[in-house]
Amino acid sequence: MKKTLAALALSAATCLPAAWAADADQVQVIAPYARAVPPTAPASAAFMTLRNRGDHATALIAADSDVAEITELHTHAHENGMMMMRPVARIPVPAKGETQLKPGGYHIMLIRLKHPLKPGDKVHLTLRFADGSTKAVTAPVRPINGMSHMHHGNMHHAH
Amino acid sequence: MRKPVLALIVVIAAAVAAGLFARQKFHAGSTLTARPTGGDFTLQSSRGPVSLHDFRGKVVLLYFGYTYCPDICPTSLGNLSAAWRMLPPDLRDQVQILFVSVDPKRDTPERLQQYADFFNARIIGLTADKATLDDVVRRYGAVYRIVPVKESRVGYLVDHSAFTYVIDRNGRLITQIPHGTPPKEIVRTLMPLLTHKEDTP
Ligand SMILES: [Cu+2]
Repeated sequence: MKKTLAALALSAATCLPAAWAADADQVQVIAPYARAVPPTAPASAAFMTLRNRGDHATALIAADSDVAEITELHTHAHENGMMMMRPVARIPVPAKGETQLKPGGYHIMLIRLKHPLKPGDKVHLTLRFADGSTKAVTAPVRPINGMSHMHHGNMHHAH
Repeated sequence: MRKPVLALIVVIAAAVAAGLFARQKFHAGSTLTARPTGGDFTLQSSRGPVSLHDFRGKVVLLYFGYTYCPDICPTSLGNLSAAWRMLPPDLRDQVQILFVSVDPKRDTPERLQQYADFFNARIIGLTADKATLDDVVRRYGAVYRIVPVKESRVGYLVDHSAFTYVIDRNGRLITQIPHGTPPKEIVRTLMPLLTHKEDTP
């Protein structure tokens, strides 16, 4: 009996990592970035692609960051030209599939920034997945589209 | 007998389609509205009141948004300012971008101007009391609504249409540019409205 239990425990222990791999280990974070925003902007957003290598679906259920007082999961809906941003409880990531967090869609909303986000800065994010596992991500701050070769305080300069 | 009826149906269908198209062009929000009239307005900037008629002789690009918007507004303003910078300097002087915040509770004219300055395109930030804003928004065919969101700790969010309204040198509303229009296309929309040196004898 004891032997059987021990064997069971052993097999369970060896099986666990393969069968129950944490969602955080199965999800690959591709090209994360946060958006540079004007100095007085109260909020910014972080974007990335979440690729799930595992064969069970998961979801991003929370995120935390070191640059904002509040970090929330949001999405955008567009209805008849109306842009509607809404918090979501989870961002699903299908098995063997991927979900994009991108402008105009899902994003990690960084609210009440502790300091302005400038290109070159880094945002440290902690992502929490459906099974409770977490993943640390470093997202570089990237300029807003069309603002890539601009310099701060350099008004009206020509290109 | 058959043929005239058919022809009539075709004519009616074409008229309906044309009407729909014309309305579609200025369609924003959940209801189809009549073609917006645009017109003059006076709003508050960090340096005091600013009116549309202050910019007679210039083409005005009018955009409604709010600074809590982390995505849609910076994208639109980024594209508008990039388009502005693509213009030769003499044509830049003929274009004024106005960013109107529909969130006056959080966006003071001062904060708004600092936000606008970031885009390096001489954008002027404007806002006003709700009644004044609502009137301008309605006349330009824009829509917004303040949405209290329990699930978000921001308190409330602002749904808004994201068109840029193009106003010609005489203060007339000409067209609207959809969200996500690349800078080059914005320039293409602007060019026919500007005075080019070679035009003037
Ligand atoms: Cu958001």
